[in-house]
Amino acid sequence: MLIELSQVSKIYNQGRANEVRALTGIDLTVEQGSMVCLKGPSGSGKSTLLAIIGCIFPPTSGKAAIAERQLARLPDRFLTLHRRETIGFIFQRFNILPELTVLENITLPLLPLGVAPKERRQRAHELLERFGISHRALFPAGQISGGELQRVAIARALINNQPIILADEPTAHLDTTLSREFMAIMLQLKAAGKTIVIASHDPLVFEHPAIDRTVTIQDGRIHVP
Amino acid sequence: MARHNLEKQLNILEYALSSLWRHRLKSLSVLLVFGAVIFLLASFQMVTQALSDKAKQVLVHTPEITLQKMSAGRQEAIPLAYGDKLAGIFGIRRVVPRIWGYYFDEVRLANYTVMGLEVAEMPEGARLDTTLAKGTMPRPGDDAQGWAVIGYSITNALDLAGRDTFSLFRPDLSLKPFVVRGEFSRDTDILTNDLIVMNLADARDLFAIPAGLVTDLCVYVANPTEIETIAKKISETLPGVRVLTRPQIQKTYQVVFGWRSGFGSICLLSALAAFVILAWDKASGLSPEERREIAILKILGWETSDILAVRFWESVIVSGLACLVGMTAAYIHVVYYAASLFRPVLMGWSVLRPNLHLLPRLAAGDILLILAFTVLPYLAATVIPAWRSATVPADSALGG
Repeated sequence: MLIELSQVSKIYNQGRANEVRALTGIDLTVEQGSMVCLKGPSGSGKSTLLAIIGCIFPPTSGKAAIAERQLARLPDRFLTLHRRETIGFIFQRFNILPELTVLENITLPLLPLGVAPKERRQRAHELLERFGISHRALFPAGQISGGELQRVAIARALINNQPIILADEPTAHLDTTLSREFMAIMLQLKAAGKTIVIASHDPLVFEHPAIDRTVTIQDGRIHVP
Repeated sequence: MARHNLEKQLNILEYALSSLWRHRLKSLSVLLVFGAVIFLLASFQMVTQALSDKAKQVLVHTPEITLQKMSAGRQEAIPLAYGDKLAGIFGIRRVVPRIWGYYFDEVRLANYTVMGLEVAEMPEGARLDTTLAKGTMPRPGDDAQGWAVIGYSITNALDLAGRDTFSLFRPDLSLKPFVVRGEFSRDTDILTNDLIVMNLADARDLFAIPAGLVTDLCVYVANPTEIETIAKKISETLPGVRVLTRPQIQKTYQVVFGWRSGFGSICLLSALAAFVILAWDKASGLSPEERREIAILKILGWETSDILAVRFWESVIVSGLACLVGMTAAYIHVVYYAASLFRPVLMGWSVLRPNLHLLPRLAAGDILLILAFTVLPYLAATVIPAWRSATVPADSALGG
């Protein structure tokens, strides 16, 4: 299993007056090369679960193993290093820095890895070609269309060839055509062997035929109908 | 590993440069304000040092020991006969009487410094010949009656272009004529700008000083290393006389420039402190865009130390450029514009301001001092609070 969570809980501000229990007793396994959708309303705990899978922070309790590495005792620095090598992120609204060029946005994850400029450009151009936006390479990201922005975000998630792709509400601000296009690209990536976890409450995503499994989160727990 | 780390730092530096370019208006404003503060501080430092050097260079021509008679703490005329009492002190080469005073020109509302002496009596090497831009000092045997050697500003003040004669009023308002025989070099402006040197008898006549009295006696010694010893012997021989040595006068100049510079520097350091506090305040707070950018970078695998490195490089680039701009501007201001902004503060408010040609030495110590007082506080003010901003949680880039 590439992702293996057992009795995972997450409590924010533990022991304080503003303590929030975001997740309780989550058990979840995701096989390599599969596509899983985390479904649920806003505030249900989807993003917290995605953050734990994405090695952003460890769970408060329970076991979380991502790409065979236990997160529970990893210090923040090692979580970051593990995240760099393992996880590619696609954010809600894509979180592209609008003042940077498309090329600069895509290569952002490579800068702290010490990848030389020539290799960075080469890797980025391969992905830009693949997604048909190489003509936009030197455009400021703030000046390209929504569909192109979406492909830039996917290219950035793939630039370091990470095995796991996490997408947080990727279609929340897209029209139907672009949402379908997004899922088509996800299908290609799945076919290429990537493991994909998408947090979404968009039926176009969780009802998509490429989704192997939909996990419903409600009030921080996995909901079993 | 070392190559990888170097490549990583170069990448982070590249990102810092791009970040500065993206926020170019803000970066440019900081650069200009910081550059201006460094310009002011460096100008002060350079002009003080150049003035001190200049004074030291010019004071070489002053007598090794000057004697003045004091009465009730004030200077009064000294009898020429006092010179005879020094005859027994071994090491004195010559005692030359001098009349030193100020002439107020009521028409031009300017004060001229008048120095009357028997140039022919002065020992070789102390005759001020080397300080002249044109003309000569009278030689022994010359008829020195009515001659004058003047400083640069006197030429302009007395409107002497095209003629070489001028007159000054005696106390009884009768006119005393002079012929200009020479003009002091601009290199000695700091002391000679408003100076008129004339024959001792002419000065006595001009100021109506009785025969047998002068304002001071200039003592030239055979061995300059003996100055202090001879000065001590003179003090013992003439107890009521103030004995000023050349090193003391030089020290006084250093102290005066040092005090004025220190006062100015304190004012400027206050401005720098205000700037640093502002920079700290700015670096402590984060706009929503900046928070978002940091969160995105962290989620993409940037460590807190990488974000801090970006801030560090940004600050190094801004402060380095500000330093370069500020110090270059200061050098140009001091060398080519004769420190016109600070001359009134450092040189007093004389009507006849010397038009100085200052050439500061750029000693490594001075540059390091300016760097220590400007770049280091700025780095501390921007990088330390950046720690707080760099700890923005990565998950804030995720949705609810």
